[in-house]
Amino acid sequence: MSDDAAPETVEASVGSNGIRAVGAYAPRNRLPASEVEAAWGSVQASGVGEKAVPGADEDALTMAHEAATNALHADGTDASSIGLLAFASTTPPVEEEDVAVRLGSTLGVPETARHESFGGSTRAGTRALATGLDADLGDGELALVVASDCPKGEPAGERDQAAGAGAVAFLVVDDGPASALARGTFVRPSPGTRFRERGSERVDGLGVTSYDRATFTETLAGAVDDLDSGTGDEGAGDGGLDVDAAAVQAPDGAMPYRATGALGVDAEAIQRVATVHDLGDTGAASALLGLARALDDPDVGPVLVAGYGSGAGADAFVVDTTDAVPAALVLERDDERTLSYAEYLRLRDEIVPEPPEGGGAYVSVPSWRRTLPQRHRLVAGRCSECGSLAFPPEGACGDCGSLTAYEDVQLPGTGRIEAATTISQGGAPPEFAQQQQRDGDFDVVVVAFDAPTGDATVSAPAQVTDVDGGSVDVGDDVVATVRRIYTQEGVTRYGFKVRPAGRR
Amino acid sequence: MRDAYVVGAGQSDFGSFPEESYRSLFATAYEEAVESVDGEFHPDAVDEAVLGTLGVGGRQIGLSGPAVTEHVGLHGVPTTRVENACAASGYAVRQAVQAVKSGMADLVLAGGYEVMTDASGDATRYWLGVSGETEWERLSGTTFAGVYAQMASAHVAEYGTDPDALSEVAVKNHSHGAMNPHAHLGFECTLEDARDAPVVADPLTLYHCCPTTDGAAAVLVASEDVASELSTDPVRVAGVGAASDAVGLFQRDTYAGVPASAMAAERAYDRAGIDADEAGAVTDALDFAEVHDCFAIAELMAYADLGFCAPEDAGAFVADGRSDHGGDVVVNSSGGLKSKGHPIGATGAGQVVEAYKQLRGEAGDRQVADAERGVTHNVGGSGGAAVVHVLERASEVSAR
Repeated sequence: MSDDAAPETVEASVGSNGIRAVGAYAPRNRLPASEVEAAWGSVQASGVGEKAVPGADEDALTMAHEAATNALHADGTDASSIGLLAFASTTPPVEEEDVAVRLGSTLGVPETARHESFGGSTRAGTRALATGLDADLGDGELALVVASDCPKGEPAGERDQAAGAGAVAFLVVDDGPASALARGTFVRPSPGTRFRERGSERVDGLGVTSYDRATFTETLAGAVDDLDSGTGDEGAGDGGLDVDAAAVQAPDGAMPYRATGALGVDAEAIQRVATVHDLGDTGAASALLGLARALDDPDVGPVLVAGYGSGAGADAFVVDTTDAVPAALVLERDDERTLSYAEYLRLRDEIVPEPPEGGGAYVSVPSWRRTLPQRHRLVAGRCSECGSLAFPPEGACGDCGSLTAYEDVQLPGTGRIEAATTISQGGAPPEFAQQQQRDGDFDVVVVAFDAPTGDATVSAPAQVTDVDGGSVDVGDDVVATVRRIYTQEGVTRYGFKVRPAGRR
Repeated sequence: MRDAYVVGAGQSDFGSFPEESYRSLFATAYEEAVESVDGEFHPDAVDEAVLGTLGVGGRQIGLSGPAVTEHVGLHGVPTTRVENACAASGYAVRQAVQAVKSGMADLVLAGGYEVMTDASGDATRYWLGVSGETEWERLSGTTFAGVYAQMASAHVAEYGTDPDALSEVAVKNHSHGAMNPHAHLGFECTLEDARDAPVVADPLTLYHCCPTTDGAAAVLVASEDVASELSTDPVRVAGVGAASDAVGLFQRDTYAGVPASAMAAERAYDRAGIDADEAGAVTDALDFAEVHDCFAIAELMAYADLGFCAPEDAGAFVADGRSDHGGDVVVNSSGGLKSKGHPIGATGAGQVVEAYKQLRGEAGDRQVADAERGVTHNVGGSGGAAVVHVLERASEVSAR
């Protein structure tokens, strides 16, 4: 390394790719600050009026699935052309194991695609976006960049009171309409501002206020100053950046505004696209959710994206659009469920007992894996003899009885309820008892799933998610999604559930 | 093919006996069956034993059949355990009938046993759940109560069934069970008790669900020659029918009925020479029926599957008293699974015990008037297996 290379800057190049579509997702559960205040007597976290809380069957992987599905839906495409899946989270459901691979499976990303996982700090989101923008994409090939996070902290402290949940996904192509005009990056070794010890679920920090603030603002400032390293003249000059909005990392609702001077933007530019006030700290998704809001707003032109992660490092992008970017953002929801603090503690698994003795219905992981196309993507089969649909596609055809081969048919995931009930307290099978204790009664149904074409349906049992128990009836329309089914032997099984159509 | 007869039948009390073992319960049932034999019974005459159990709680699962036959002194008798979930011992009786009819055996012991109440509720739910479809249905989060509740939802949607009919079933069966000294829940209940009980799986309340029960039942099935030696009032097995279906509800042709039950009944009636009347009902040919009412909706579905009435009339069938004493056919004179109890492996044979007593006029306060012919109906899981027996008084039949 030559002496004249500044150790605190990393050379960044502006990728030629651009964003073609965007999706976002936040869980329906919301904890208002008033509940935090009622429980603790005061609120430590600044500027978080309400925060999103994952359901008992949600985690960073399922939220990423939701956001990615929304992006694909906005784009009107499927996952078959994806050549790169970049997944960012500081809260993957397992500490070791490549979660991106299972996320890709739930979406139908080809197994030959690059699957890249980013973590370690909240900057993972902007690092994933940079990877997508830099990717060498072939003709018609897509990169899918997903950031999803649901941090936790010590309940009494500001970090947990700010800790929210959300996910965002971008579809990137080589000629996408939203591209980075400039990029910058910067690191500065600064331990202790925000960290999570090995084996802990709770984000911690030393709480040295001036040190924390200086690290945050100066690292971001370094990335913005580095912006001109890309195209030459986009850096924050004396007059500030010429942007309409600034999507800034928000560990709470006050911190980003402390960086206005360092970033060269005003508070209004930050507030315009901020999600922290309604969703809380969304970690690796924080700055990118702001970018999603900006792309969804036709009145917003150039936007500064400023991602930050403790350690510390920051990325800055100036993104502008040449054309509208289709967006499907499920952030403010008309089906929001306001939690009491007690319900929050239940959902967070703070006061729920260990799973009951007695074991579960044992389905080994290898035999579960055999059914992943069905669990993750509703792959049914068409009987080669009579043409009727079978689910799961194995064994003799239920219609003609022939023991024959099936042609894969991926179901679109829409259907109608044929039979329904609500599993009440104490009535859940042991492997679902904890979910019920956390999230309450749930509905289980038999669904007649639609075929891709024609009037034929094929039935499968499914649990209903995203609604309270007792919300559905025979005849109701539903749509499939992917959620946590249950955890056994330490391995969480993901599979399809359904929710009422039009609820998202 | 030669005829088969029931020449003895008995059961233990059904209830919660955590200090009993599967062996001790079966010994009690066996002794009652032996005592019910009119003539002189010699254990050496037993050619074969077929016994049903699920093995709830994970106790003796391998070789549990020989474990009980050796325990009651049937040394050396070839014994086979039959497992078809809740239909285990209904199928055991059917195997016994097959052995006799084929000529391979002259006297066969059939029965079943189950100990369920010495385990925690969670452990019991696990063991009940393993008889449902485990890979898909169970992993949608259902127990059996949930699956039967789904069937109830389909029945309401398809036939407009009044959910109060579920409570009518509970009231009737408890009124019957209150007259059965062997019953687990031998008390009466009101419509309000049943309707207002805690919801287990909507629309099923606690009173629409059978209990988990300890118990055993034993039946002696004999050839005509042996029957004439051992019995002055034998019960003839007029017809047997059985059928299987997809274990998961979602793979069946209907959710508002149990196709395996209908197939099994059709086969049993065909063997027994029972024809439906102009309205399609077989109730003129039957005096009583022990049906598999693990959940109240199961009895409503059985009315149609067994040919008592049209499915849309099932609710009215119970509400109008047509399945009670004095009605078209007395359903579950024993109290049924609901009140008598449901020790999984013993239930099917226990139904035959009730039929034996009714046909011999030995049912005490709950005696069905002029009982000449009845049917037993035993279902495994939510309908993956079903078995139906038509049983009749041999003397009455030969006099016809």
